[in-house]
Amino acid sequence: MTSYLRLEVLRMVRDRRFVFFTMAVPVAFYLLFAATSHGAGRDAATGLTAQVYLMVSMAAYGAIGAALTTTGSRLAAERQTGWLRQLRATPLSARAVITAKTLASMVLALPAILLVGVVAFTVEGVRLSPGQWIGIVALMWVATLPFAALGTLIGSLVGADAAQPVTLACYFSLSIIGGLWMPVSQLPSALRTISGWTPSNRFAELGRAIAAGHTPTATAGLVLAGWTVALATLATIAYRRTVAS
Amino acid sequence: MDAITFSQVSKSHGAVRAVDRLDLTLATGQTVALLGPNGAGKSTAISLLLGLARPDDGVVQVFGQRPDQAVAQGLVGAMLQDGALVPGLTVREIVGFVRGLYPHPLPLAEILAVADLTDLAGRRADRLSGGQAQRVRFALAIAGAPKLLVLDEPTAALDPEARRAFWAAMRAYAAGGRTILFATHYLEEADQNADRVIVLDHGRIAADGTAAQIKARGGGRTVRFELGDQPAAALHLLPGVTALEIHGGTAILRTDDPDATVQALYSSGLTIRDLDVRGTDLEAAFLDLIGH
Repeated sequence: MTSYLRLEVLRMVRDRRFVFFTMAVPVAFYLLFAATSHGAGRDAATGLTAQVYLMVSMAAYGAIGAALTTTGSRLAAERQTGWLRQLRATPLSARAVITAKTLASMVLALPAILLVGVVAFTVEGVRLSPGQWIGIVALMWVATLPFAALGTLIGSLVGADAAQPVTLACYFSLSIIGGLWMPVSQLPSALRTISGWTPSNRFAELGRAIAAGHTPTATAGLVLAGWTVALATLATIAYRRTVAS
Repeated sequence: MDAITFSQVSKSHGAVRAVDRLDLTLATGQTVALLGPNGAGKSTAISLLLGLARPDDGVVQVFGQRPDQAVAQGLVGAMLQDGALVPGLTVREIVGFVRGLYPHPLPLAEILAVADLTDLAGRRADRLSGGQAQRVRFALAIAGAPKLLVLDEPTAALDPEARRAFWAAMRAYAAGGRTILFATHYLEEADQNADRVIVLDHGRIAADGTAAQIKARGGGRTVRFELGDQPAAALHLLPGVTALEIHGGTAILRTDDPDATVQALYSSGLTIRDLDVRGTDLEAAFLDLIGH
């Protein structure tokens, strides 16, 4: 399985479009948003400066993007072209394929998180304790799991043509409703009520809590764990269904 | 031990019964062609024996085990129809990766040499021609030195020269005492490359034997002669005759007993000119067997 994981990571790194969208876009958005909010006050709910708040939002945005785009449309395309069938005729098990794909998408989410942090540190002068930096990166990294599962679910359910638009639709709606592009307080009230139930909102909450110096709430952990279990279960069922005929 | 056994295996796709109570045994070391028109059940039979599909009924075994277990142990290598290559990787990386999945693979250099890929090893898989990609897929099938090699229409879309090169490579691989099953609808390929030919039609075996036996069984031999404008009325009643065709004054009798037919022909009172007795080619035998 490790050789398959290496192969998947290698393929993704070589895909320039992918690297651009998952690494460069969040950094560019961060620089843009952070520059326009110089002199803005602290966030009322968390007490974080705009620079720190946006850093967590854009790290989350990049990580979710990496997890979704490495799974959904790739899996759908490989189903269609027969590469997955070819792999099934080798000793590599279906479970190893799914596990490696999930891990690979997490491997690619890590630099997306790190890069935004590095830019926040160097360009915007964000200062946190070493423990906070490690906590933010580690927790947010682990919490990309539900998004990798969502991508796998999309890739198993949807055809190759539809997978990319469906992935993008999920990506953008999760980002908007989860409050990654603008604070939740600025969302319409209908979206504000469901925001707390989205994995993206709770994902960013993990990072913000640590940046503000307290432990994330149990609710955040439970919502993320619930999404992970539900999506991973559905993804496994959907994947089994697509490969068995 | 037998390489493959199908016992009363059925598999339907919706209302279509792709494989219908199929019984089949392949001994280890044989090279067998699975021959049949499109929709005869060849690809379904191959999916079943690779564990890519489960039978609705009956039992499929590969080296005495469930097909997916045999695949998991690295006993089987497969070249599937339209098995696309994964983009973004070089030929060497893909072949090396698949090779690494098997417990006792062939050396990488040997795989590349057999599949004639040595010069293309550094090329990205998405920048190969159709024939080159086909060779990579063959390389993937043999990479793990599998005891059973399964090829589904391996030369579809290859030009004649590439096809010859492919079969030369395949024969080199088969020489190691391995079992090979290939599906094809090219009759000459079955004739030239298989020890045994199994003709499938509507999911069942229509004929099974060496290419020579199948030729003999399907319509036997043909007797042709110049009939001119003589009456043809009683020709189909001659001993041995199974079919009669008349094309522009030439009578073509298909017979399973050419000696008796010819003898009766000369005693029939007809004037026989340009008599010609020949074996049926595999194509005619095949069309005969599947009833077209």
